Amino acid sequence: MSVVAIDGGDVPLGGGLLALLRPALALLRPGGRLALLSSTPSVAQDLPAWCRVEHHEYLGAEALPDGRTTHLLARGPLGILRAADSAIPERADPATGFAPRGASVEPGGPAYPFTLLERDHVIPPEVASLYEQAVSSQWVAARDVPWATVKPLPPALERAVGQTMTFLAENELSALYVPSNFLPKIHPAYAEVAMFLATQLNDESRHIEVFLRRAREGGGTLGVSSVTTSQSLLSLLELTDFTEAAFLLSVLGEGTFLDLLKFVERFAPDEATLVLAQKARVDETRHVHFGLAHVRHALGRDPSLYGRLEAAVRKRAATMASAGGVPAPLADALTILAAGGADPRGVRKGHEAFRELLETMHQNRTKRLEHAGFSPEQAKTLSDLHTPNFM
Amino acid sequence: MSDSTILVGAVAYDPKAVTIWEGIREHFVGQGIAMDFVLFSNYERQVESLLQGHVDVAWNTPLAHARVRRRTKNASISLGMRDSDRDFRAKIVVRRAAGLKSIQDLAGRTLAVGSRDSTQARILPLQFLRKAGVDLGKVKLLPFDTDVGKHGDTGTSELEVLKALHDGRADAGAVGDLIWVLEQAAGRVDASKVEALWTTPPFDHCMFDAMPSAPKEKLERFQKGLFSMEWENPKHRRVLELEGLKKWMPPREEGYASLHEALDLDEK
Repeated sequence: MSVVAIDGGDVPLGGGLLALLRPALALLRPGGRLALLSSTPSVAQDLPAWCRVEHHEYLGAEALPDGRTTHLLARGPLGILRAADSAIPERADPATGFAPRGASVEPGGPAYPFTLLERDHVIPPEVASLYEQAVSSQWVAARDVPWATVKPLPPALERAVGQTMTFLAENELSALYVPSNFLPKIHPAYAEVAMFLATQLNDESRHIEVFLRRAREGGGTLGVSSVTTSQSLLSLLELTDFTEAAFLLSVLGEGTFLDLLKFVERFAPDEATLVLAQKARVDETRHVHFGLAHVRHALGRDPSLYGRLEAAVRKRAATMASAGGVPAPLADALTILAAGGADPRGVRKGHEAFRELLETMHQNRTKRLEHAGFSPEQAKTLSDLHTPNFM
Repeated sequence: MSDSTILVGAVAYDPKAVTIWEGIREHFVGQGIAMDFVLFSNYERQVESLLQGHVDVAWNTPLAHARVRRRTKNASISLGMRDSDRDFRAKIVVRRAAGLKSIQDLAGRTLAVGSRDSTQARILPLQFLRKAGVDLGKVKLLPFDTDVGKHGDTGTSELEVLKALHDGRADAGAVGDLIWVLEQAAGRVDASKVEALWTTPPFDHCMFDAMPSAPKEKLERFQKGLFSMEWENPKHRRVLELEGLKKWMPPREEGYASLHEALDLDEK
């Protein structure tokens, strides 16, 4: 049995003594003894009452020759803290609430409504390095894009830029909202994931800002929001499973988005458009990495996930069955963008570039799916089923 | 009550009484024990209702419990109490500047006391001072008769006593040790101005009372529900905190002897 001794000096119980007493008692196990040396007579009046209320046992006092008193108490059975553990738990306890990992938690707290409680379904090992990358790669839309390079374009090209930017911004709005649904469900024992998602949300906000600014910067306007896009993005917003959402949004959607941004870079009519597409692509690459890490980690621990993810893709494809191909306003805009304008000779080349883009997207999607852990056949099937909206 | 629902009476000394009893009822119902409660505005009415059989069980202060014992000639059935009801004590707290060295120095001084029906802040501290040889005829009492009928449950008269000590209207004051400890722990006592001088012997506080005519099986169900509440169960924790206990305990009568003595003296 452990014993702790403390010197309370002349401090009365109501004058600060508890700040010495309580931490000393916390060091003991139930039944452990604490000796308190005190020169204040009122402590003899107050300590037994305090012990009674707090369920410690007051064992008595012994007068010392110098006039001071030693009070002896035994630590009571209540309020024993759960041992602190800073390791990432395999399963998180909803009753630890917002206690940071590594804190000692008092038992008896309320259960929080977190639902993402399993390490293997929530936190891939790469998350810490991805978070660091995200924090050190932040950029500022107003400062880091050479906006002065934007000049008025011929009307058809200006409209194509406006339409492309509208589509990009609309998709990025969904990428802002979809992860937001899951953030409050992540148990704080896996806070690194929530913190990474926060950087992702910040990235999406910045992307929305630059795409909308580029649409208007040269005097142009926003383009059309099509029903295909709207249906596709709603099917993402309605997802209730974190891993399915990471898969559909980050691996398939944002993965495909990388090829689209690269296309915009390739045919950018000015330096500003090139830079903003490039910078957005670097951010999106990080999101894709997180999604891949998440899915690969979860698949590695739970092979039954293959079936579930495939079912999720099929279900989404079924809800999109009535949609045709790529939304027409976007297909046209990308063609004109690649053509550099409305000249018929250029448009033929632009159309070829657009067809190449679709093929590149399919090939890269298949590669990413294999990278995530799917077989080549599964990867091809899933890529074919992916939404014509890209995202 | 003709049905099997246990009807418990409690006094609404604070709005939180509703939260407490709804919480306890939810726990009982969760255990498959039908229970409901009635809130009274004062203990006198609650005691009469228990005696007339309008409620099965009454959650009584020590004074209400002692009255039930006397009215039933000790035939009433005691069912349980809080851990914090056992070995309650009262404190004589003094203003340091008044220079009192012992309770004998109270002669000629002003002693602030709580409500006339508060066991811990008036009835028993005075009884114990008397027994310790203090001539109360020579002590100037400064009474705070707040919330009469609530038997000191609200604690308002004890807070008035502490206030009177802090601002110099009284040299000494009587308070229950629960309020005294909690006020100190909350940092609301100026330890440079006031300190505890004397502690009374222990006495017991509240008790669940039932009439001897109550069906035995009903009372057993009540005790089963009550004693299954646990401090470290988050569902029970809040109610127990509000009601000021960590554990429900079996009943005992010896802790009320001093109160009966005081009441005997009163009746003479």
